[in-house]
Amino acid sequence: MSKQPCDMPSAGRTMHPCDGRVVSTLTRRGVVLAALASASLPLLRHLPAYAAIDDVTEVAPGVFVHQGLYEVQSAANGGDIANASFVVGSEAVAVIDTSGSAKLGVQLRDAIRAVTDKPIRYVINTHMHPDHVFGNAAFKQDNPEFVGHYKLARALGTRKEGYLAANEQMVGSDAFAGSEVILPTVSIKEPTKLDLGDRELLLEPQPTAHTDNDLIVTDLKTETLFLGDLLFSVHVPTIDGSIAGWLSVLDDLEQRNVARVVPGHGPKTMELPEALAPQKRYLSAIADDVRRQIAEGKTLEEATKSAGFSEKDAWELFDQYHVRNVTAAYAELEWE
Amino acid sequence: MTHALKKLSRTVCGVVLAASIGVLADTSAFAEEDLWPTLRAEAFGDRPIAEENGYVVLETPKKVEDAAIVPLTVRIPPHVKDKLKSLSIFIDNNPDPKVATLNFGPAAGVGGERSFATRVRVDNFSHARAVLELEDGSLHMATKFLSAAGGCAAMQAKDPDADMAGIGKTVVRTFSPALSSNPIWSGQVMIKHPNHNGMQLDINTATFIPERYVREVTVERDGELVFKLDSTFSISTNPNFRFTFAKGDNNELDVSVVDTDGVAFDGTTKRESGS
Repeated sequence: MSKQPCDMPSAGRTMHPCDGRVVSTLTRRGVVLAALASASLPLLRHLPAYAAIDDVTEVAPGVFVHQGLYEVQSAANGGDIANASFVVGSEAVAVIDTSGSAKLGVQLRDAIRAVTDKPIRYVINTHMHPDHVFGNAAFKQDNPEFVGHYKLARALGTRKEGYLAANEQMVGSDAFAGSEVILPTVSIKEPTKLDLGDRELLLEPQPTAHTDNDLIVTDLKTETLFLGDLLFSVHVPTIDGSIAGWLSVLDDLEQRNVARVVPGHGPKTMELPEALAPQKRYLSAIADDVRRQIAEGKTLEEATKSAGFSEKDAWELFDQYHVRNVTAAYAELEWE
Repeated sequence: MTHALKKLSRTVCGVVLAASIGVLADTSAFAEEDLWPTLRAEAFGDRPIAEENGYVVLETPKKVEDAAIVPLTVRIPPHVKDKLKSLSIFIDNNPDPKVATLNFGPAAGVGGERSFATRVRVDNFSHARAVLELEDGSLHMATKFLSAAGGCAAMQAKDPDADMAGIGKTVVRTFSPALSSNPIWSGQVMIKHPNHNGMQLDINTATFIPERYVREVTVERDGELVFKLDSTFSISTNPNFRFTFAKGDNNELDVSVVDTDGVAFDGTTKRESGS
């Protein structure tokens, strides 16, 4: 069938026969999108491809954080939308999330090399999402252990093609070049410590919450908790696991006493328990509204028009993700 | 089953667009061959189909937020008095475009608005269609365009372990109308089932997770058929159906479900089954 060439997952890397094709069944939306696409491309060539990820801050001795933008992946930001961190011990370095492309990963690696020559022994991913894992490829040369939750490999495996295609589409093939899915070489099922030399990282796999493969990393030396996307600030939370599970993990986190936490999206550091409050309020608003609507016999469509909208002005990217969150919450909570 | 079209499935699954959040959506989605003439011929031969004539209304979200769970509602307005024979739902560009076919029975009801709602996976920008067949054999179609592309992501389980736990649990509910004189009641069937599409790679075994989905749902009211539904993996994980049926003396519903492994499940509104 003639659709075949367009459907090859790798078509974008070489010749993409679809790009130049005159489209006979083009809809009005299609025309608009095509016009946007062709209009923006030449312009973007003259802009810096993305913000510099070598902007890292030492938030505690030996603990460095780069803050991502409160945006969706785009050609303008190159996929630099999530926080990425590294911790330096007396013998080795551990990277905690690697940002959204191999190129950003290279910049992160350069930032590490500007601080230390110690070997990069561990690359830890807090969960499966592309904006946290696609920089992994930049660290292959260091031959590190790639470390993740024991369900991370399955999650990345089933989503691999989709993640590659969608992210190349969003940031552009130049910015995305070299990015690949790298599966964990070490899978964490029980709380586990990693030794960096005079400092240990504690890795704690979580039950399904933001995703089914969330891993909390704690630098025990400075009591810094890397929460990945178990914590959003400013950027609206996104539910890709279980809203009930996430609320329960937040209850657990509220009990913890640490010096600081690093969110997956948000400022470089925050403090417990205040950092959790807005997100807990957001998720609770959805859960409460959706549970009530389910009890009243309301449908999913009805819920997506009202549940949690009291939170609209409290978050960036609400319009992009909120209805999706309500949809996921409804599909989960109707089984309670 | 539409075997002729399923050959498309694995290649189609590789394409993922920027979903609802991408500005630079891939226009190749619009370059695809129009599959409807083939689908139409396969399902209805050369029978005439009246389009957008008000006999059937298809409701889809203006903006699809999650391509894995897209609510889709078919309404047959009250001015249509005929008995219903069948309803077929298609999503042209899905790996299996035939989403569901309902064959109605005597308890499907007349004398008010009838409806059927479910949640579907949308693989790529596509037309969605509802084709209603009335008792006289006439066909009526409503069409909507879905600006959504979930690709493989549309087929992903958020928590595969949770989805497999309690597989087959079937919850059945009825909702009595506000007016007791209304001859039409509504009901709901929820089935705990991953609805695996057979296209997801299991990284641990390097094989595709076997296809396994709900293929048949039969709803009866007090022993009389409301409908028998044949479905595909275009239905979302944990298949969910809302529908209408004729009010009777006894409005308990019994539901039987069969999946592609041949495993049968059942559910009922009757108290003794614990639902």
